[in-house]
Amino acid sequence: MPTVNLWATDGYISTPDGKSIYIWGFTDQEGGSARLPGPTIIVKQEAPITETVVTVNLTNNLKEPVSLLFPGQENVKANGQPVQPQYENDILVSLTNHALPGETITYTFTAASPGTFLYESGTNPFKQLQMGLYGAIIVRPCDYTPHDSQYKTAYGAGTDTEFNREYLLITGEIDPDFHQAVEYGQPYEAYKPRYWTINGRCAGDTMLPDNVPHLPNQPCSSMIMMEPGEKVLIRYAGAGVENHPLHPHGNHTRLVGLDGRLLRNQNGGGTTDLSYKRFTVLTGAGQTYDQIYTWTGLGYNPVTNPIPTTLPNLRNMAIGHLGWTMWSGSPYLGQKGELPPDVVSYNQAGEYHLMLHSHAEPEITNWGAFPGGMMTMIAVYPSGTLAPHQGMLPTEAY
Amino acid sequence: MRVDIRLAATDGWVDTPDGRSHYIFGFVNITGVPENEIFNYRGKAELMAPPLVLQVGDEVYLTLTNVGTPTRPDLDDPHTIHYHGFPNQMAIYDGVPEASVAVPVGRDFVFHYKPLDPGTYMYHCHHEPVEHIQMGMVGPLVVRPRDYDPADPDYKTAYGYGTGTEYDREYFIFLHELDCTIHNLVATVQEPDWTNYKPTYWFINGRSYPDTIASTSACRLRQQPWPALIKAHAGEKVLLRFVNLGFQQHAIELLGAVMKVVGLDAMRPAGLYGEDLFYNKNIIYIAPGQSTDAIFTAPEAEDTYPLTLPLYNRNLIKNTLAGMGPGGMITEVQIFEPGTLPPQTEPNQS
Repeated sequence: MPTVNLWATDGYISTPDGKSIYIWGFTDQEGGSARLPGPTIIVKQEAPITETVVTVNLTNNLKEPVSLLFPGQENVKANGQPVQPQYENDILVSLTNHALPGETITYTFTAASPGTFLYESGTNPFKQLQMGLYGAIIVRPCDYTPHDSQYKTAYGAGTDTEFNREYLLITGEIDPDFHQAVEYGQPYEAYKPRYWTINGRCAGDTMLPDNVPHLPNQPCSSMIMMEPGEKVLIRYAGAGVENHPLHPHGNHTRLVGLDGRLLRNQNGGGTTDLSYKRFTVLTGAGQTYDQIYTWTGLGYNPVTNPIPTTLPNLRNMAIGHLGWTMWSGSPYLGQKGELPPDVVSYNQAGEYHLMLHSHAEPEITNWGAFPGGMMTMIAVYPSGTLAPHQGMLPTEAY
Repeated sequence: MRVDIRLAATDGWVDTPDGRSHYIFGFVNITGVPENEIFNYRGKAELMAPPLVLQVGDEVYLTLTNVGTPTRPDLDDPHTIHYHGFPNQMAIYDGVPEASVAVPVGRDFVFHYKPLDPGTYMYHCHHEPVEHIQMGMVGPLVVRPRDYDPADPDYKTAYGYGTGTEYDREYFIFLHELDCTIHNLVATVQEPDWTNYKPTYWFINGRSYPDTIASTSACRLRQQPWPALIKAHAGEKVLLRFVNLGFQQHAIELLGAVMKVVGLDAMRPAGLYGEDLFYNKNIIYIAPGQSTDAIFTAPEAEDTYPLTLPLYNRNLIKNTLAGMGPGGMITEVQIFEPGTLPPQTEPNQS
């Protein structure tokens, strides 16, 4: 049975505009710094008749009580007893059993449904969740088999949720004044986010790879990389306190699961598929959205099917106004072309970059400066050029 | 069919019913305007941007001409067209400057689209989108089904014959907000902090109530040519095409008739195997960057024609003008005795 050891502690994160922000968060390394978001817990369900019981040992290295909520999971217990809200002098102090500073508490829960879930602090959550005490849980179906396409699914074979690659995007917000007030033990009442994060990073850091050395406490990329025709499972998890309308360019997503539950009803012996497609998904606070995205393109190529317009001369187009571009210089997938000499191109293989971002556009700034915030790219690489490990989350991780 | 459209990107001023003017960026239709006259359209941006009405199978050549911003001659921003929701888009026609190209001042660029799926979409400039969307470079985009035939009631549909989306009249409910502090800062060459965004005006089709129900020709509103007045005969099916290109969620309520939601983000609500997922609503809750198609049947009124049904934002603070009511996102559905209105020949005609 999976057992996870987490420590609640503090640390610092960086924003692309040069700020260092104090956070609270989880780490799976004893003595490690808090990371944002907390380590992703990935468990695979046992055979159908066996309950999949997950154990999480939480050690509290912060100076106030901390706890863990497991929304959407069943049979949640703390130290062997069903979890209960905690009161002191009849005043609610925690939504669940907590660990005092220095203590360790053992939670168990039954992972009864495949899907995407959150774990988050239930103690003083307005403060602690804001500070970064959250992470995601992925539950894989018991028949999950990464090397068999029929069994590489979000919700089990036969549920129409097959995928080739998968990406987890956890959204959040940061009010730097609030974080500073907590760092210095000062009171703070107003709430005014200035940064919006995916996987704990603001754009353009969102597009950097996993585990870049200068972001030691923000190890997770949000760059989505795929090849044409692939089914990409995108898991949104709304870890913050606000809603975010996330819009991927290039295609609709097909929503197959909400809050870790398959969008399908049993109906008189048959099944009714309740999945639906949207081009903007309002990612609600505390909610998760499992979606399948595909992109096949429009079939243009320079030899037999050129694009039907003539591009202007290079100097008659605006390219790389920020000093850099993700463009290849060519309209064709897999081709490169001429770019202005003073523009840095981050394009690797003639791939297309299709933006994925919050359409509440002040959220794609870093304290008001575009580009930033809750924005990343879907990079469509020419067939056969993308490293096979991209978008391959482990079968289990804990 | 080949469709040639030419839009100019420029700036302009719009009015609110409390007598204030607001600086905007926007688009204006210059299709067919001789080359030596296009600069007459500098400063004539319209809010909302001209609706683009296309059909499945069209070969669309959309030329964007950046004619500059006369109120801000210092500003040499490029512009683009982002066709929001276009399936399988390639980078070059997607209008994202960081991922392809943009159109500098004084230059043209041709965007090509061959729409394959019907529905209600939207378009906007994607250069510094937080600024250019808020400043007004936003408009609706409709794709008619391939078999669309306005003369045949079975084929006058939102999503094609047999899809249960037949209608008699169609109107845009195009939602957008305006933060007058930020618009003033942009007009006066100051740098706004976008995280302080706090709208003070709320628009349907680029107008605030009571301008929403004013006639098209009101000269004070010459850069806001789209009223939001909805007229129909009793018994007619009315298609409302909701688009939200503001930065807030909105909850648009219709009193007196139930709306059947037949499209979300240009997709019929249908499961993977065509399962019928239509549903009925009194309030359309819609997030930035979403569209919704809803059809209601205009109720009978015996002998009290015209009958008025209010349509307004249930987030009631958005039914104001800089804090004073009534204003903002309010309009009217007016229902007339059958046979008294001319047939609608283009969307939004009242």
